[in-house]
Amino acid sequence: MTATMRRAWPGVPWVAPAVLLLLALSIYPLIYSVKVSLTGPGGFTLANYTRLAQDQLFLRALLQTLAYTAVALAIEFALGLVLALLVDSLVHGRAFFRAGLLAPMLLPPVVVAVIWRLIYNPQFGVLNGTLRTAGFDTSRLTWTSGEQSALLSVILVDVWEWTPFLFLLLSAGLQALPQEPIEAARMDGATGWQMFRDIVAPLLKPAMMLAILLRSMDLVRIFDQIFILTQGGPGFATETMSLYIYRTAFRFFNFGYAAAMSFLGLALTVVFARSLVKLMRTAR
Amino acid sequence: MRAWVSAAAVVLLAACGRTASSPALTIAINAGVEGDALKTAANEWAERNGTRVEIVELPYANLFEKELLDLESRTGAYDVIMMDDPWFPRLVDKGNLAPLERQPDEDFLTSCLDVCREPYRTGTFYALPYVGNSQLFFCRKDLLDKQGLGPPATWDEVLGAAKKVGAAEKMYGYVMRAAPGNAVVTDFMPLYWAFGAEMFDGNGQPVVASKEAIESVRFMLELGKYSPPGYTGFNADEVSAHLLQSTAAMSINWPAWIAAMDDPARSKVVGKIAFTQMPSARRKGVAELGAWLLAIPGASRNKVRAMEFLIWATAAAQMRQAALRGNPPTRRSVFMDAALRARFRAFPAQLASLETARPRPRTPQWNEIENAFGIYLSQANAGSISPEDALARAEQEIAAIVRRGK
Repeated sequence: MTATMRRAWPGVPWVAPAVLLLLALSIYPLIYSVKVSLTGPGGFTLANYTRLAQDQLFLRALLQTLAYTAVALAIEFALGLVLALLVDSLVHGRAFFRAGLLAPMLLPPVVVAVIWRLIYNPQFGVLNGTLRTAGFDTSRLTWTSGEQSALLSVILVDVWEWTPFLFLLLSAGLQALPQEPIEAARMDGATGWQMFRDIVAPLLKPAMMLAILLRSMDLVRIFDQIFILTQGGPGFATETMSLYIYRTAFRFFNFGYAAAMSFLGLALTVVFARSLVKLMRTAR
Repeated sequence: MRAWVSAAAVVLLAACGRTASSPALTIAINAGVEGDALKTAANEWAERNGTRVEIVELPYANLFEKELLDLESRTGAYDVIMMDDPWFPRLVDKGNLAPLERQPDEDFLTSCLDVCREPYRTGTFYALPYVGNSQLFFCRKDLLDKQGLGPPATWDEVLGAAKKVGAAEKMYGYVMRAAPGNAVVTDFMPLYWAFGAEMFDGNGQPVVASKEAIESVRFMLELGKYSPPGYTGFNADEVSAHLLQSTAAMSINWPAWIAAMDDPARSKVVGKIAFTQMPSARRKGVAELGAWLLAIPGASRNKVRAMEFLIWATAAAQMRQAALRGNPPTRRSVFMDAALRARFRAFPAQLASLETARPRPRTPQWNEIENAFGIYLSQANAGSISPEDALARAEQEIAAIVRRGK
């Protein structure tokens, strides 16, 4: 036994329970799901993975998930940044606005989805009702029930609920910025835009990357809101990867194929996350 | 040492407490009106027998997966399970359900008993029917009378009435549910069957894209023109809301909504809706069956007591109580009960519908098939795909599902 091992030994009993728990609850299920994805009725098979490339419904669900992630992330990030800058520039009432803006994020996603389902109802919903009262023709505004409008409608719900999350992270980033360069720029007569472009944005870049990373990882897994709002419809218009995996696993009980899809999703998320982390490192 | 002894005592006491209060039966039920009646019955049974029953109430969307997980892993977590009849072929697969020792009596309606057997209609009984659900055609009798029309007997008459009533009353002549999956398929099947289409041939191969099937989808799209905008996302709630608010005149619906139609607190159409049989086309109209069954998992450790409960809960006396709590019965004698007929005006129509109702195709892969079929039907309704393409793609998907299942 080396000196290092002898020194480490007294700590093993203390670490062992946590390691065992991790092995039982995370590592073993992960290995088991790899095995399930590679097993067919006749034993070892790659059929679940080859099916991924041929399954038109899965490929469409994957593309829709990417589109959903990209659009929702872009809007939430832009709005979150604008709100963070606005609230940060306030002299009075910062705490009030911060608390108010965070409210949607505090609601459970299922509750949000149920509320928005009622709001979006074309005939009896408050949204079309208000528009009708204001004199608009709402006969074509079918929101989540229209094939063209459904995806955008569910994105809107996501934006409503999760923009505060980006606002919170970016706001915290703004609070942590060193004030000296900003003050110096102000003294030199820099305009607001120049200060943002040349000083605030570069300094805020790590916080921005972190916000994008956390939110995009969450967006790729989107499930609850869509499950309540549209169940993937009309047709296949709002089906996402998580919804498709859920159906395959728990409605059709094809765990092997569901596991294969999950691993592809995991691989895509890991590649995206690693690229962002690399960018974050270079930003420092 | 003292600490170890105390800890052991706590564990022992907890274990003893658990044994003393462990229930005689654990029942998985659907959270909803069908399950409410069973819950009340189970509590009454427990009280009579001086025992305890644990009710595991699960929403429709999760009930199937919990039950199947329990059956496949043979944990014996439930002693009695409540199931929607299309789930039966999947749940009974691989000997997961315990066969019934006694033959059910002849008072049960045949259509409800047939779906409790494996193979369908001819095999061993593995369940007893508890809720006699089958679709009915809901129509506004007052508005049809006003236009000199009776309740429609054919789908052509439905379309004609939808146009006429819709135009005269400035409302939607018809409302259907066309959200993907179960919703659109459920509303479509009576139309599909009436036009003479079938999902499978005699060898179990899908024949979804037949001439008759294309015609039935075309007809559905025609009806869609008289449905409210956004019907492609509708489920039962939205369809019923349109009837209750008097914004639509006709629809296919389930008996669970009859009480709401005649409830002044919820409805603007009290006493105005007629409940009739499915309209016909080339073939006589038949409703889709959606009965709720009770069965005993093969891994249950309380099979004898579970069987006693099953027989007690589905006996005529208890089913009468369940009917008073809002559940459609599965026994002829309960449907014929004079007091119940006086109280529930739709009972004659419900009995007639149940007697001829048709179940969904009996295959363990029905959930997957219904999902694939539903996606393309919903897309056809949304106008993004033609009826021919929708059915051709559905047939292709269903054929692949059938192949994978072999």
